[in-house]
Amino acid sequence: MPDSNHRFKNDEQQPRQDQSADHDADDMKPEEREYHERFMREAINMAELALKSDETPVGCVFVKDGEIFGRGMNETNRTLNGTRHAEFVALAGILSKHPVSTLKETDLYVTVEPCVMCASMLRQYGIRAVYFGCWNERFGGTGGVLNIHSDPSVDPPYPVTGGIFREEAIMLLRKFYVQENDKAPEPKQKKTRELKTEILPMDIHAPKSTPTPPVPGLKKPPVPAASTA
Amino acid sequence: MGVDSAAQLVPLRTKDEVRASIETHVLYAVEIPARFANSVKDVIHEARPEFKPGEISHLRRVVQFKFLPPQLQKRFNPPARLQRGIRNSEEHEDDEQPPPAALFNPLPPSDDESCSDSDEESCAKSEDTVRFFLLCPTRCFKPAELVALLRKNPPFSTMNIHPKLLYVTVPALAPTSAEQANQWSEQYWPIAYKNTNPFGPHPSLVARNTAEIESEAGDWLALARTAAAETAELGVGEEVGCVVVDRSSGTGEVVAIAGDCRWRSPIGEAESHTGPGNVMAHAVQRAIAIVAKKRLLMAGKNPAFLDRTLFCDIPLTAAETAAYEKANIEPTGYLCVNLDIYLTHEPCVMCSMAILHSRFRRCIFGKRMPLTGGMTSDTAGNDANPGKGLQHGIFWRPSELNWKFLAWESPASAELSASVTDTLHV
Ligand SMILES: [Zn+2]
Ligand SMILES: [Zn+2]
Repeated sequence: MPDSNHRFKNDEQQPRQDQSADHDADDMKPEEREYHERFMREAINMAELALKSDETPVGCVFVKDGEIFGRGMNETNRTLNGTRHAEFVALAGILSKHPVSTLKETDLYVTVEPCVMCASMLRQYGIRAVYFGCWNERFGGTGGVLNIHSDPSVDPPYPVTGGIFREEAIMLLRKFYVQENDKAPEPKQKKTRELKTEILPMDIHAPKSTPTPPVPGLKKPPVPAASTA
Repeated sequence: MGVDSAAQLVPLRTKDEVRASIETHVLYAVEIPARFANSVKDVIHEARPEFKPGEISHLRRVVQFKFLPPQLQKRFNPPARLQRGIRNSEEHEDDEQPPPAALFNPLPPSDDESCSDSDEESCAKSEDTVRFFLLCPTRCFKPAELVALLRKNPPFSTMNIHPKLLYVTVPALAPTSAEQANQWSEQYWPIAYKNTNPFGPHPSLVARNTAEIESEAGDWLALARTAAAETAELGVGEEVGCVVVDRSSGTGEVVAIAGDCRWRSPIGEAESHTGPGNVMAHAVQRAIAIVAKKRLLMAGKNPAFLDRTLFCDIPLTAAETAAYEKANIEPTGYLCVNLDIYLTHEPCVMCSMAILHSRFRRCIFGKRMPLTGGMTSDTAGNDANPGKGLQHGIFWRPSELNWKFLAWESPASAELSASVTDTLHV
């Protein structure tokens, strides 16, 4: 039985009304989008590596000064440890070489919204900003279920942007469930065997709160998406 | 068991239970003869099909004056009464309509002479036939609208009387225990308790589990304090510790012990206490990792596979090592299913969710951490921070999170080190 962490209801349409991120990838300027997509591509590569290793395909990279300086992928199945999420794995590598204070100038790119656990860890560490692909309806901690990044806390909040390569992130998860079901002697649910290719466009979120950090090399800092507040 | 072993365990309230205990709203009620209750009910539901009676099914819909709570008896005194003979006269269709005042007479406060003990039944029949009937929440109708609607329908139309709307404040949600139902019946309105708890674990389940663990909980909490003291002594962590116990065979078996290691450097040295330290080396994270390592070991696999020093998941102290080396865990077990975790303090949001991810069965902690803790749902706070709480209630949110477990606090357990202040993430 594979680990069921990061298990999502993939048969359902992803966007839900209560999903929200501070910022939405759809509101980005093209050059800004290009900058972030470059790193999310690397995170997707890590997720693909996880898939090849029979792990839930979630991958991430940490970026400082426009450079990747840490990578991670989910390792829950092989370690029998339900907390070995991609963010933990990457940070265990980074913090063996760099002091914790570096994370204040560091951004996270992760294919799936950080869970409640990781969202709290990132806030305790003082991460600068988080960018993610698809929402996590089961235990997302930055808008999918709870808002650990912005709820009252002794630590400062961090800005979150969702929806970068969202379809690809979802597609990887679906591939994983098809793969896992094919391995099982008797597939439990027929419907999850079908690889669904139709992904609906994201709904429009109401952005709020802290602005994302400026993109290096761009003259002007990105304008935060229109605020409703 | 020693003196230490018994701990006072207080089950945590779930987020929904907290909500259910404080949310009230106002309902309309009227006085009507009991036999008209159903027809009035139908009138309301036909006019407002969007109002679901299930929403007020935890409240008795039709109530006699004498069963109202004292404050409502005072407010609604004197209750209306039907004059004797009305039922008979109404059954004769040809009878002339009596004037309105004759139908709903207020019951004089001491009009009980006719009700001698010997005559109790007939007395009840003649006088108690007027009941207080809950109509619907006030949001469903404007008062004038509702009065007009009632006036057009029996009994008000046939008896030619003006409906008098009463306003009653009631709990918006169902009670979660018989105790709460009784209290609400005294305070708000008679409650229909269905012996279920839609907002948390059933009280009998909580009672059964409390009884199972309370005699030894004090021992495990004391062991958690030992674990805390040991790593703190080494200078590598805050004075926070936890113990993982397997009680699935009927007796408590310690599976893992871990103290906090946030101030341990990647090469194993004590670091200066600045910033958050190594968040991944909180006691809970270490304990979960040690359980996983034990499972790998028991399954004949390499426990160091994919390991990293930052996870701090090798046993470091005498107590941690002793627990790690005991081959007392199922290699085929899944994560921390069927295991209990005891902590010196309420775990932070990260660790609360790690406990949930790991599918623990029960969680017991000593001191509340109202500024950083992820388990509690209310704002009871503690001595230093009364009225505070993050209200995440992570242990029981089944509609949002994909696992739930029982959780207790043990506020009276022994004094903890003052070095752990409320702003620390446990
Ligand atoms: Zn996570
Ligand atoms: Zn913690």
